[in-house]
Amino acid sequence: MRELSRRLLIASETASDRSVHEAAVMSEKLRIPLTRFAGAEGFASLLRRALVLASVEVPSLQSIKVGLDGRLEGFEELAADPGAAAEGSEAAVAITSHLLGLLGTFIGEPLTLRLVREAWPDTSLDEYH
Amino acid sequence: MSSKGNDQGVDQGKGRVPIRQLPTGVPGLDEILGGGLPEYSLNIIAGAPGCGKTTLAHQIMFATATPERPALYFTVLGEPAIKMLRYQQQFAFFDHATMDASIRFINLSHVVLEQDLGAVLDAIMKEIEASKASIVVVDSFRTVVRKALNSTSEMELQGFVQRLALHLTSWQATTFLIGEYVEGELRDNPVFTVADGLFWLYQSVERNSIVRKMQVMKLRGQDSVPGMHTFRITDAGLQTFPRTFGLVGESGHVKGQRRLSTGVSELDALMGGGIPEGDSLLLAGPSGSGKSTLGTQFIAEGLRQGEPGIVAVFEEIPAEYAQRAAMFGFDFDTPQKDGTLKIIYLRPLDLSVDETVNEIVNSVKKIGCKRLVIDSLVGFEMALAPGFRTDFRESLYRMIAALTRLGVTIVTTVEVAEEFTSMNLSNFTVSFLADDILRLRYVSINGQLRKMLLVVKMRRSQHSIDMVGYQITSEGMVLGRPLRGYRGLTTGIPGPWSFNSEEIPPLQSDADVDDQNG
Repeated sequence: MRELSRRLLIASETASDRSVHEAAVMSEKLRIPLTRFAGAEGFASLLRRALVLASVEVPSLQSIKVGLDGRLEGFEELAADPGAAAEGSEAAVAITSHLLGLLGTFIGEPLTLRLVREAWPDTSLDEYH
Repeated sequence: MSSKGNDQGVDQGKGRVPIRQLPTGVPGLDEILGGGLPEYSLNIIAGAPGCGKTTLAHQIMFATATPERPALYFTVLGEPAIKMLRYQQQFAFFDHATMDASIRFINLSHVVLEQDLGAVLDAIMKEIEASKASIVVVDSFRTVVRKALNSTSEMELQGFVQRLALHLTSWQATTFLIGEYVEGELRDNPVFTVADGLFWLYQSVERNSIVRKMQVMKLRGQDSVPGMHTFRITDAGLQTFPRTFGLVGESGHVKGQRRLSTGVSELDALMGGGIPEGDSLLLAGPSGSGKSTLGTQFIAEGLRQGEPGIVAVFEEIPAEYAQRAAMFGFDFDTPQKDGTLKIIYLRPLDLSVDETVNEIVNSVKKIGCKRLVIDSLVGFEMALAPGFRTDFRESLYRMIAALTRLGVTIVTTVEVAEEFTSMNLSNFTVSFLADDILRLRYVSINGQLRKMLLVVKMRRSQHSIDMVGYQITSEGMVLGRPLRGYRGLTTGIPGPWSFNSEEIPPLQSDADVDDQNG
């Protein structure tokens, strides 16, 4: 899932606002199809678990929280820390890969990829089929 | 016409609108429904938790959904979609290609929790219109209604249900509303009033067995099969066992057009030429009297004449049965490989009669079976879940009727407790089920426990009234001469026929039997 997450990160960077943290961009993209599928609480719950797992790899994520609406919060403080800012891409990949990994564990890779396709409709994922 | 649907046999010449029936993908269920699921119907799948509602809905959805007829599955405060899909994809019917191309899952929990019924209806219809869904599932609809009852009047709820039904039908959707209802809720509930179909699933614990049953309480537009139908949930999903056993309409078989040899020519002669084809013969006798042996000979004789056979055993595995047949010189391995013989061993302890018969009927059709041995009724009864034992006689009646409709000649063994004052035909009082009855019993003569048989009943035909001694030898059952000169043979403790006689007449010896049979 890590390689897929990197691929998705690249696809997201080209189309997103550089002032927003990469992790926020990617989780926001996944939030819409996952909320439709699992509900707002279902998505937030998965994201919280993914965040905890990702924090082990990227310690600066420990200050990030998941809001009630399933959005990641706390990136403003992170932006002030130059070291944490440098970990932006790594943090985004860690959270996304853990989130997709959790989904894969629960519903399997084919259904996970389907949800990913809904979030990144313009990104080719043929090699993951 | 889609490959996943068929038009009902409606006489359009009379101007009636044809109702297309969708195959449910659940073995046996289309027959119970009277051909399939009426397209554009609004159906309720009701029952207690764990009885298979969600699995049934998924199985039907996977069977009916196509890219042209996509499905939408709304989840509402019930089992989380992630967990539901995790478990549902373990079933064989869960096809990822169908899922990818034709099925969408939408979570409606937040709308139900935070908004009113109007918003719920809007959300449902918006998603349906956006996806052009033709198959719609709401799981659980009960949750929607329960939430609404806290904040709306009964009239408002009824209005919501009617508007939902109206919109779904107008949109040409076939709908399933799933709910954990109890039967007491049937009265005065607008959901049940509006629904076209009502499928109720039951699960009960009977001693150590789990029994699942389904009832189609309501189905508009077509004849469904009334009553309780047992079903089982396996890796393949639900499998239902219709009470009609898949056999409806005229039989087309006339009983007794020819006689089938039992494999014991002297016994055939006693019966007036053998067992009338299509009859059900009850072979009653005590333990060790040779019932299974005669059943084996009946099957072996059929195989010899090119008639495929089935043996349903409950007390031993097929390999053991074949091994025992081999002891009498019968090769049951080769015909099993050739597909002319099937020995069915039915999983004991939680069977239903309907499930058993379903297995037998399928095998009968598959191999073109002419002869069937059920060995034995006692084992059969013991293999059933306790709840089914109370209806055993009624179930046997349906089973025998169904099997003989197929033109199969049935020999059923039944063990009777031997008494030495009287002679029972069976412990089940099931003799009314049999066209023919053969009774084996022990008799005590001259210090020996001998075996004798008599033909008690042969429907529509003459038969011998002799009571005949027999032995079970290495070649199977071998008949001797009629036992003459005794009184009270049926009690098992005969005496001399004439009270003047001081001596018991000499009994035919084993040597006599051997002489008689060459």
